[in-house]
Amino acid sequence: MTMVPQGGGPVARGQGGGTSSLYDVLELILDRGLVIDVFVRVSLVGIELIKIDARIVVASVDTYLRFAEACNRLDLEAGRKAPAQLPDVMGNMMEGGARGKTKGAISGAVDAVTDSLTGKSSKSREPEEEEEAEEEVPRRRRPAARRPVRREKE
Amino acid sequence: MPLYVYSIAAKDHPHRLDGVSGVGSDPSPLRTVTAGPLCAVVSDIAEEIRPKRRDLNVHQQVQELLMADGVILPLQFGYIATDDDAVRQALESNAENYLGALGRLDGCAEYHVRASQADEAPLLQQILQDLPEASDLNERIRGGDRDPSLPLVLGEMVAREVQVRQEALAAGLTEALVPFSREYLAHPPSRTDFLNLSLLVHDEHKEALRTAEVDLAREIGNDVDLRFSGPLPPYSFVQ
Repeated sequence: MTMVPQGGGPVARGQGGGTSSLYDVLELILDRGLVIDVFVRVSLVGIELIKIDARIVVASVDTYLRFAEACNRLDLEAGRKAPAQLPDVMGNMMEGGARGKTKGAISGAVDAVTDSLTGKSSKSREPEEEEEAEEEVPRRRRPAARRPVRREKE
Repeated sequence: MPLYVYSIAAKDHPHRLDGVSGVGSDPSPLRTVTAGPLCAVVSDIAEEIRPKRRDLNVHQQVQELLMADGVILPLQFGYIATDDDAVRQALESNAENYLGALGRLDGCAEYHVRASQADEAPLLQQILQDLPEASDLNERIRGGDRDPSLPLVLGEMVAREVQVRQEALAAGLTEALVPFSREYLAHPPSRTDFLNLSLLVHDEHKEALRTAEVDLAREIGNDVDLRFSGPLPPYSFVQ
């Protein structure tokens, strides 16, 4: 499987080739691609690789308790390093652009991020929350479950 | 004889398939079935095909082999035609659509991006810092308050905030990457991912996209796991 060469760091994770890369494109192979109705589709019952269902997690007591426990366990005094936040990402990218390290592409990206921050575009997605890893249940996913959220042409 | 069908391409695609075997436990060589300006890449199958890891890989590898030589329409995994005639009929009856799609996708590949929270702790820490109510609740629980409603109230507050912040991050990542694409498709993320984005990118923009990906990944830090796949066959953009 061809992967984009990366500069290391977090990008490199999960890209060891083989299993992990197949994992990420499995949904594309199984659930997207051209469908020809007059052909017969092989049964996907018993597919043993992964569960590809979209996470359907709304508010649940389990989720709340898990978050509460995770907060209780935090070492509040140690390492107050801030998590990645969009303004940080944007600010750093602007710096990078100003140093002339990258041109064109990144300033375009920064503009786009700025737009999203200033509310020029609105996004809505499915409700989601973190969840405990679930047991991987072999499931059949029917084509009817495909549900593109948004598709635009440039 | 039944055929497994991999992809559709123009008749003049080189189809360098010599020595490549198809799906199944006793795989047959790949071959083509042509009808007018189109042709389908197929292999004969003698048994029921199961979605085994090997066959999924073969399906994917055939697409990658073909896309290196020109635009293709990759089929979803697992489509079987009864015989060559059925393939020819399918090509003929939909020729206009297929030719249109081949034209639209020419020179392009799919790039797929996912993001998940690799390390939750810094995000939770930041939320507690930003929401005094949450921080107070957390301190009461840590201080030994046994009121059973406290963890639920805290957890709900934090879960909501995690969702809001991850959605903002997903929207920002999408906005940053979409300018490199001709079309894009955001799907509901699964499992612990909070971003599932496919981009249709023309070859002339792929280097710029890679640069942007590397920069985004570096700037976003270690707490977020950004995973990029591509160039891939344009699975998400064939219909």
